[in-house]
Amino acid sequence: MARLNDDAQWIILMGFLVSFSFFFLAMVINQSTVVGQTTAESVIEFPKNDIRDVRGVIISSMNVTNPGVVRGDITVISLSRKNAVISYTSPQIKDNHTVINMHYNNGVTEFNENWTSL
Amino acid sequence: MVNTDGQLYTIEGFAAALIMIATAYLVINATSVYTAGDTHISDMQLEAIGTDALKVMDTNESHLSKSPLRDIIEGTPIGAENATFGASFWYLINNRTQSGLDHIQYSASYSYRNTTDNSVNSAFINASRNLSVGEHAVRATKWVVVNKQLPGNITAQDRAVLVEVLMWRD
Repeated sequence: MARLNDDAQWIILMGFLVSFSFFFLAMVINQSTVVGQTTAESVIEFPKNDIRDVRGVIISSMNVTNPGVVRGDITVISLSRKNAVISYTSPQIKDNHTVINMHYNNGVTEFNENWTSL
Repeated sequence: MVNTDGQLYTIEGFAAALIMIATAYLVINATSVYTAGDTHISDMQLEAIGTDALKVMDTNESHLSKSPLRDIIEGTPIGAENATFGASFWYLINNRTQSGLDHIQYSASYSYRNTTDNSVNSAFINASRNLSVGEHAVRATKWVVVNKQLPGNITAQDRAVLVEVLMWRD
């Protein structure tokens, strides 16, 4: 029976090391693109502009002559066109500051703010 | 008798083949995921441009004047078109630092509430082109407080309406 040739074991071992490192690098590339997609999706899903916009309209419509009608506009249109439930308190004066409690919920993201005027 | 030379080479060959197949699988798999994520990013940029343009149009020059967007909604009867909106919105979304315009098209309308039955209706403002079935449009919205007589009311009063713009590239 022929003897097993055990020359050049170091070269073979180095070959294994290099190929395994390629394998792990490929794994890192794979994961990084998945992370990129997940990040992009969560950024899109997060209603940053919607929250800022509705917050802005609630604050700017604070002094209208018919707050009840404007409140109806904001809550009804939000529900039917933006799939978001909005609720907010009438402006209250506390310690010389105007305070409004706002709530926003679109089923995925919930936002609550206790707004105080400067 | 079976020759037993080169067993180590055979094992090495198998191991290398497995590693190469696994690596190729991982890389190809990753590429297919990437294209799906890519389209979302350009959608997001288009939406950001639209939201910014609407925000610019709803900014008043001074405390005493009304914003252009508010002027447009208050001055246009429901059912009528307004070309002023088109003129400023078109250039806000399509102007670039280089010469030549971008190719973004839009269709704008606003939603209002009818106070008698709480129904939400839409009033058309202006469009650069009709939205066809194949276009991949994104929506940008802006709340505007206007003083206007809307269906369900006899007199003009402060109302909140939602301006909605569909935008797409052609």
